[in-house]
Amino acid sequence: MNKTNTGMKEAGILLPLGVGFVMASSNDLRAAVGMGVAVLLALFFSAVVISALRKVIPQAAHLPIYILIITGFVSLIQMVMEAHFPGVVNMLGVHLAALSVSAVPYRDAEHVSGVMGEGPSVKTAIETGLLFTLVMAVCAVIREVLGSASIWGVAIPFMQDFRISALSGVFGGYLVLAIVFAVMRKISGKKETEKEDVAA
Amino acid sequence: MSFNVILGILLAGLLSNNYALLHFLGTGAVIENERSSRKSLLVGLMTTLVMVVSTAITWPIQTYVLKSVPYLQNMAFVLVMLLVVEVIHLFTRKKVETFCKVDFMKFAINGAVMGLCIHNTALGYVEALVTAFAVGIGFMVTMTVFSKLSSKIDHDAVPAAFRGLPVNLLCAGMIALALLAF
Repeated sequence: MNKTNTGMKEAGILLPLGVGFVMASSNDLRAAVGMGVAVLLALFFSAVVISALRKVIPQAAHLPIYILIITGFVSLIQMVMEAHFPGVVNMLGVHLAALSVSAVPYRDAEHVSGVMGEGPSVKTAIETGLLFTLVMAVCAVIREVLGSASIWGVAIPFMQDFRISALSGVFGGYLVLAIVFAVMRKISGKKETEKEDVAA
Repeated sequence: MSFNVILGILLAGLLSNNYALLHFLGTGAVIENERSSRKSLLVGLMTTLVMVVSTAITWPIQTYVLKSVPYLQNMAFVLVMLLVVEVIHLFTRKKVETFCKVDFMKFAINGAVMGLCIHNTALGYVEALVTAFAVGIGFMVTMTVFSKLSSKIDHDAVPAAFRGLPVNLLCAGMIALALLAF
């Protein structure tokens, strides 16, 4: 298996671990993009630092050290976002801070950055971050357009009478994400089958 | 604090203030949980303990120390959580490893504990402790119910693309919808 496949496979494993903040931030496209950028940056910076320090960090204490490194970067990202995009930080609420103890950056640190060099770690972090951003953006577009009849906070006049308000609520988060996951699985399954056919 | 208020907080923790299902905090840990009901119950109990003890420590830290340095909140809370989990794990290591063999530390430090500690800083001390206990019990019940429920799903009857995580998400959504009624 080549390195690209390893990165995408890792991203696919990490995706289910982050369902909480994907659903929490996908009722508005601005929040989804904000969270996506925060995840991408947190993964990127922690991958750089953890992969550089991987030989120095003692195995017995790797868990608290990884979590503290990730928390440091998440705090930094939160402060920058509070200064420049306070509205987005308000929308994300406690979920942005909770990112520091999420299983996503931690698992990425333990299985990729903690064992691989800087190059592959950064590549996997970027791929994972982009995949999260894409999934959150897709969910957010569906939920915001169909649930709130708006996009990026701007109302869509002709949709106002056709709103499905349940989609912008809690249940909508689960429903849309389940459908998006199923579609992703269907597409990736088709691609795998096509690859196998070509190889045969 | 009257008995009715305590009862209200306890009920809210189980129903309308359910962190895992309604606040999306620690949802991944619950939905991806593949432990048996018994193990889920045990891990849930330990997480409740972590929530209560973490709240008991982070509340005074936020109130008396972090007022002037709010940007250190995440770091301070995570340090406290790590310490609490390490100490609890130290005392209960034998029991936990017999039951789970899991990385209790990895599980117990999740978004629900962090979110709870941050939310609780807006409450009074006793109210925060009761809320932490109630949310912990809610988390434990959700985990146990969900582990039982996911083992009952007949995956052969589900379309291939929906098997696994998507159908689990739909189940969680249904439970969340029911909880919203409260």
